[in-house]
Amino acid sequence: MAGLANVFGYGAMTNSQNDIRNSRSVMIIGMNPAENHPISMQHILTAKEVNRAVIISVDPRFTKTSAFANMYVRIRSGTDIPFIFGLINIILAKGWEDKKMINERTYGFEALKTEVAKYDPDTVADITGASKEELFRVAKALAENRPGTVIWAMGGTQHSNGTAVVRSYCALQLVLGNMGRPGGGCDVFRGHDGIQGVTDVGGGPEHLPGYYGIAESAWKHYSNVWDVPYEWLVSRFKSKEMMEKPGFTVARWYEGVLLDPKELGQDTNIKAVFFMGHSTNSMQQMDRVKKALEKVELIVDFDPFVTNTAVLPDRTDGIYIMPAATNYEQPGSATNTNRDLQWRQKVVDPIWEARTDLAIMIDLAERLGFKKQFIHNFKRDWRGVPASMKEVKALPDQTVEDVLREINSACLSIGYIGQTPERLKRQQQWAHVFDIKTKKAEGGPVDGEQWGLPWPCWHDKHPGTHILYRLDTPASRGGAGFRAVWGPKAPDGETMLASDGAAPVGGPNAGYPAQKEYATDLTQEPIKQALAEGRNPYGNGRARLNAWNIPDPVPTHREPIHSPRPDLIAKWPTYDDVKEHYRVPQPYKSMQKPDWVKKYPIILTTGRIVELEGGSAAERSSWWLVELNPEMYVEIHPKLANDHGIKHGDWVWIETPEDMDDKPSRIKVKAKVTRRVGPDTVFLPYHWGGVFEGKSLADKYPEGTAPYSVGESANTVTTYGYDRVTQMQETKTTLCRIKKA
Amino acid sequence: MALTTARMKFYIDVKRCIECGGCEVACKNENNVPQGIARIRVVTVNEGQPGETNIAVPCMHCSKAPCVAVCPVDALYHRPDGIVHVNKETCIGCGYCLYACPFGAPQFPKESAFGARGVMDKCTYCAGGPDEPFSEKERRSYGSNRIAEGKLPMCASVCSTKALIAGDAEEVAKVVRARVAARGSGGGAWGWETAYPAGPRF
Repeated sequence: MAGLANVFGYGAMTNSQNDIRNSRSVMIIGMNPAENHPISMQHILTAKEVNRAVIISVDPRFTKTSAFANMYVRIRSGTDIPFIFGLINIILAKGWEDKKMINERTYGFEALKTEVAKYDPDTVADITGASKEELFRVAKALAENRPGTVIWAMGGTQHSNGTAVVRSYCALQLVLGNMGRPGGGCDVFRGHDGIQGVTDVGGGPEHLPGYYGIAESAWKHYSNVWDVPYEWLVSRFKSKEMMEKPGFTVARWYEGVLLDPKELGQDTNIKAVFFMGHSTNSMQQMDRVKKALEKVELIVDFDPFVTNTAVLPDRTDGIYIMPAATNYEQPGSATNTNRDLQWRQKVVDPIWEARTDLAIMIDLAERLGFKKQFIHNFKRDWRGVPASMKEVKALPDQTVEDVLREINSACLSIGYIGQTPERLKRQQQWAHVFDIKTKKAEGGPVDGEQWGLPWPCWHDKHPGTHILYRLDTPASRGGAGFRAVWGPKAPDGETMLASDGAAPVGGPNAGYPAQKEYATDLTQEPIKQALAEGRNPYGNGRARLNAWNIPDPVPTHREPIHSPRPDLIAKWPTYDDVKEHYRVPQPYKSMQKPDWVKKYPIILTTGRIVELEGGSAAERSSWWLVELNPEMYVEIHPKLANDHGIKHGDWVWIETPEDMDDKPSRIKVKAKVTRRVGPDTVFLPYHWGGVFEGKSLADKYPEGTAPYSVGESANTVTTYGYDRVTQMQETKTTLCRIKKA
Repeated sequence: MALTTARMKFYIDVKRCIECGGCEVACKNENNVPQGIARIRVVTVNEGQPGETNIAVPCMHCSKAPCVAVCPVDALYHRPDGIVHVNKETCIGCGYCLYACPFGAPQFPKESAFGARGVMDKCTYCAGGPDEPFSEKERRSYGSNRIAEGKLPMCASVCSTKALIAGDAEEVAKVVRARVAARGSGGGAWGWETAYPAGPRF
């Protein structure tokens, strides 16, 4: 998300899954929608069948998605930037770029061109393993079949330079002129149905809801929204400095427990950890997570199922497992990858002791002493919140609606305004009048609305923005340029506003800055004024091919921390060590050892499979899903298996480098011999838990709560490596060795 | 919509089935199918290699059904709408249908290697069985009866890519015809390598 935000201004998918029906080429890189987004394949296959779109799959594995591609290119894990820049290199050499888009709507093309010149086809073939012919064929297909979309997911982002990888995809789409039009776009697919919403409402440690950041101005905005004095907010923190300092991330919180406080960006270690719907087996370096769970004073795990967290640590006390209600037991809105909001109805009341998320949060606020402020904005039915939350399982539905109304009133920056509970519920009743391709309603009371009122949706009559950065539509109907969020001028004095003639129709035909105070004026007058004049409230700026304020302003290849190519580490090394990143030290060069490959010669990558999801405490507790995929396994190419004397179904040990501990991490899993992976790579699905380094933890589950299937966690053997910008874990590339158990 | 007698059919589009397993799980959930029995199963060939193809295989409810032909006690029969049902009270568990069926549709509880197989169980097209519709007896013996509720079989309802289509043969044929017309042949849709064998083109 940081990658997209630093190029275009908004950290979200630019088009929609449905819009892929308009594409003439679809490049799927670092993702496997046939397993991880099965419904989206409807749209991708329709593009293939009806538009004769070229489907290009680029992946270290020949995935179930690759089976449906017209072209499949196998690249080495962690070499996305050379592959993409190799394509741009060919596109520029052949003159296939979209000069109008580049000149009128981007900044930093010359810097990009200089960098891209390093990636000639021979260099790229050497780094990625793809042949020059494959590279040329893909470049030609993308150039000849426009508009085209590029789709990615965690295969692109879970690298130590993941943010730069994402920006390279964006650069390719800008050079091809595929941005801001139906069938084009940068279509990152988020991993769960509501995860875009989680990011939008401040799931990250450096943002208040709506990507406001955590500087004083952001807190002041929220003191207005919440109607509490700014000084009271400050008083809740140790100091103003800590209030404005990004916290730990989900990727490395455990170092806040384990490391000496002198090494941390705060005075003390973390003493308590509170999980709410997150599993520990999806966290990299799970052996470190285990140690942290053994050292931390208090663990609370809210989940409908007993997760890996409850059984992983060797401790007998201090773990509280609390039953949370499922999405069928509570209403609310969810925001999906298309930026669409959808209302969920409650199907049944919470069963047994389960409590809804909102009841849990209000009870927590009550016990921490700020319930009054917490529920202050529950205008309609706040009296429905009892004086004491202690025995309360769920609250009236209106309180959940008030939560969305608060978001509507606060998140002005991204246009979360018009998605009111009333409109979402009305769309639910009129779902049948929306077109599958345009997502637009024809007739009925929702006439002209986009399905899900995708943000930005500037007011309660606005249709929502199906496709971001589109100029052929007036701002009042979702038209926009790139976000003018970097000021009027770049540090080198170049303008950051779009050229004359490159503006959404119906307004001033030029670049313009964002409307003053559009994101903080709660009356929403600046937004109304901008729209009345045909301008988009967030301005009309340029996309950044050179993002000057983050590491690697122009993306450049950096070998993974655990790279199998010492020669390339010398030429394309990782970053310098970072003393403090999200409150923990984050070394790079000192962790990248060129000789790991001698002891650990095989590339290890991880991912998801269709039957299971995330940490899978729920899915592994479903008999029918377990029946389809009962056991943890490792995918090994026949040659690699034969060289190691391993047969299909044999038990094998996977061992990875001792980069943070004195011994290698290891797991014992069954071998699945398959040509999905190349002979240099093995693949592990990461959904299993309940077995640690060969030892079953099944007896540690409370009676009757163990899932039907337990297995080794892939993340027991994933190693150190985190993104330079977001701290995203590098679970897609490491090194390992295998031996028969 | 034609005013002719419906003839219910499945069509499985191998250019669309992605082996997500949704049909298998939904079938089991809807009909409470026990462990080890698969009324529908997704079969994959060439897994992990070019040419990888998936196909979901339920009972195909054949017009000239071999199972109906070989059943010695006439437990298997066609309903007027073409759905093939088994009467579990008549079935003697001989297994002839298992050998006759080209799709592996008949399922047996498999209690022991040499003991009784038990009576045959198979895909009902989510149309229950010969018992009173919506009765407890029908539900316990055959599962749900969505057809009597005016709904499609569960597998087709949940198919993520609309690879598995169900309904009156005329309607199913219309969908298939539209898809085949759009896909065409040759290099456009599936690539020159598929359309023409590898090797020099000229």
